[in-house]
Amino acid sequence: MTETYLNVRNLNVSYGKTIAIRNVSLQLAKGDRLALIGMSGSGKSTLAMAIAGLLPKQAHIEGTIDFAGRRPKLGSDIGVLFQDASGSLDPVMKVGDQIAEVVMTHLGMSWISARVRAAELLDRVKIPKALSRLNSYPHEFSGGQKQRIALAAALAGNPSILIADEPTSALDTVIQKHIVDLLGELVKDGGLTLLFVTHDIALASQQADQIAVIYQGEVVEAGASGQLLREPRHPYTKALINTHISLDRPRSKRLPQIDMAGLQ
Amino acid sequence: MKTLNLEAKIGAILLVLLVLMALFAPLIAPGDPLAISGEAMLRPFASEAHWLGTDRLGRDVLAGLVHGTRTTLLVAFFSAAAALIVGSIVGTLSGFLGGLADIVLMRITEAFQTVPGFLLALATISVTGPSVPTLILAISLGNWTQAARVTRAEVLSLRERDFVAAARTLGMRPLEIAFREILPNAFGPTASLAAISVATAILIEAALSFLGFGDPNRVTWGSMIAEGRTVLRAAPYLSIVPGIALVVTVLSIHLIGRGLSHTERLQP
Amino acid sequence: MPPLASFFLKRLLTALPVLFIVLVGSFLLLEAASGDAVDAYIARSGTLDAQQIAQLRMEWGLDQGPLYRFEAYVTALAQGDLGWSTAFERPVTSVIAERLPVTLLLMSIATGLAFFLGSLLGIAAGARPGSVRDRLLSTGSLALYAVPGFWLGLVLIVVFAVDLRWLPIGGMESIASGKAGLARMADIAVHLVLPVCALAMVYLALYLRLMRDRMAEIWRDPFVKGLEARGLTRRRIVWRHVARNAVLPVITMLGWQSAAMLGGSVVVESVFSIPGFGRLAAEAVARRDTPLLLGVLLCSAITVIIANLLVDLAYGKLDPRVRIGR
Repeated sequence: MTETYLNVRNLNVSYGKTIAIRNVSLQLAKGDRLALIGMSGSGKSTLAMAIAGLLPKQAHIEGTIDFAGRRPKLGSDIGVLFQDASGSLDPVMKVGDQIAEVVMTHLGMSWISARVRAAELLDRVKIPKALSRLNSYPHEFSGGQKQRIALAAALAGNPSILIADEPTSALDTVIQKHIVDLLGELVKDGGLTLLFVTHDIALASQQADQIAVIYQGEVVEAGASGQLLREPRHPYTKALINTHISLDRPRSKRLPQIDMAGLQ
Repeated sequence: MKTLNLEAKIGAILLVLLVLMALFAPLIAPGDPLAISGEAMLRPFASEAHWLGTDRLGRDVLAGLVHGTRTTLLVAFFSAAAALIVGSIVGTLSGFLGGLADIVLMRITEAFQTVPGFLLALATISVTGPSVPTLILAISLGNWTQAARVTRAEVLSLRERDFVAAARTLGMRPLEIAFREILPNAFGPTASLAAISVATAILIEAALSFLGFGDPNRVTWGSMIAEGRTVLRAAPYLSIVPGIALVVTVLSIHLIGRGLSHTERLQP
Repeated sequence: MPPLASFFLKRLLTALPVLFIVLVGSFLLLEAASGDAVDAYIARSGTLDAQQIAQLRMEWGLDQGPLYRFEAYVTALAQGDLGWSTAFERPVTSVIAERLPVTLLLMSIATGLAFFLGSLLGIAAGARPGSVRDRLLSTGSLALYAVPGFWLGLVLIVVFAVDLRWLPIGGMESIASGKAGLARMADIAVHLVLPVCALAMVYLALYLRLMRDRMAEIWRDPFVKGLEARGLTRRRIVWRHVARNAVLPVITMLGWQSAAMLGGSVVVESVFSIPGFGRLAAEAVARRDTPLLLGVLLCSAITVIIANLLVDLAYGKLDPRVRIGR
């Protein structure tokens, strides 16, 4: 591990008397890919949102989140990608403007250069004919495309960390793979640090170098992904892997049979 | 019983006071409020016999105010009730029958929406002449359309529900289903329009009697305002005082309506 | 067909039956009136002998059945003729044409003011739902919403025209002032300040509430969290996103509100002695001028239909999800 990039120490989150996150510590180095896995309700999303600083006001947060000696800033230090793409885009603003306003806010560019940058970003997330699509509205894109646009907007402020909260679970399997591949590429080429939340162990094992298993608001097991999946120590991790095998094998077997070229 | 929020409580207290005032008007201010009872144009608080003063002709303002509550509440509640009933019947028929009946009924509803409610009331009064029943009719004519639209929308969403299908299999006749099964369930959202309907009716009644198209044999706040207007320079309070009564009444209705809709929104 | 043309055609096809229903309904309503135009005429211009009465009844078609009169009315209407006003002794069309522009001016200024200020204050309240500012503005708007326009007009007259003497007490412009051009426009503007306020306040309160409530709903929409996650300033989120989304449904209200405002103009114009369309309605009733009243009802329906059409056109331009004509 090189220098620690993002350092989360003794994080506790509670809503009134309900404790959502219990004493979690995490370290991320530049270029790391960390997956938070757990069942729904385990607190994995709450943890990700706490790190992003996006929890509702009622949440009581203790502990420190440190990014290069300070608290990370949304947009310029951390980009966030949500599960529901259409839910993160303003339905009545052109997608080009939505990306450009993030560029303007964080990079201090003029509107014209921000629009040019927006076109580059759309191109980078593989929206065809990016320049001409700047003036389209979210409803004119498909679900997968919307998620790419949301990704472009999340990256528009040049953040070095991307938090992705179940970024593909609202999409169908084929499009899921496209988004996952795109994220992988961005990490490899762009030096992005990725923290993603998923319940899909197969996805975690493909895309993450490290996995942290969350159960009832605690990290019960963490480590390099291959090691962790081969030799799970915590019973919860074992249970997770078992359910995955029984439920997901048929689907993951089906996947390669689909003709990918025909769908592109 | 749902707990009411503070706004609704204030509104309810005000409304109860107004209703009591209307009920006990003959006890609070005995005698004919239209009769001359003292010296003309007394200022408020100047005479113990006439707390709120007297008007241009020497009629007691307080008596007018108290008796005016009766006309206002009577006309408003009955016309709002008539509007809600007519509206929900039209809406139920329209939503339940569908097809041509729906198209025709909705066009009629739209036609009524297109003519300003106040003009419709005015035209109706010009035909029927002003009295409490005709005022109720005239005001409700322009006031039922929203209830029809809301009920129709609700009926359309209820039409395919299980309990309607069950009623169908039980062999209930369509109209029986519409009015015994669907309408009672669709009435909730429609009833939330009640506050707005009552408030609208109060304002239309006041405006009609202000223009001199109210019941000439009754004191109304609108006619008191109009009466005071002739001496607006010398005695502005004659117009201002009954107007305040109007504002308080309408506000109390809005407070209740808003409080209720808040409570409803919090229900799962 | 170009989208705009097909949009207008569709709207015309729905508007015509509605107008026809308004026409039949108004006609039936006014048929039920006791006494006809001749009675009203006699009441005003003194006694006529029996022969003259019969003559007039025949001229005005009153000796025929209602169906005949309806047919005659519709035939004339198709040629743009609304009949003869017995009170003004002029064609109804010319009386209305003279009065309508004044009211349209009054209404459009009042709508503009109410919408602009109401939305601004609604944004101020809806920027932080539940804050002290929101509560003050919400409660204030509720109180203002309860104020009848004609009474507010009288209060404004007492304060600004009688006590402070800042503004004229009524009328459309100074009588025989000999003003022309800009000076006349300024004179009219000064005369319209109070009536516009009296007419606009209720709607200002309404738009404030609508805007505020819509914004409170939109804050709960997930896309707002997405905007926060991109580190946009709160100011930008409020103005460019939440308010922008909230204003759209408020705009759709403008069309139907024109009907209510047209009704409100009847009393407000009476309070301020403005010779407009609204006061014409009251005069038609007071002077038992049935053809005029029928014309007034019909023209107000047409005005409301056109207002709705304009609003829908504007909405189609403002909401990218709506494409007119598709």
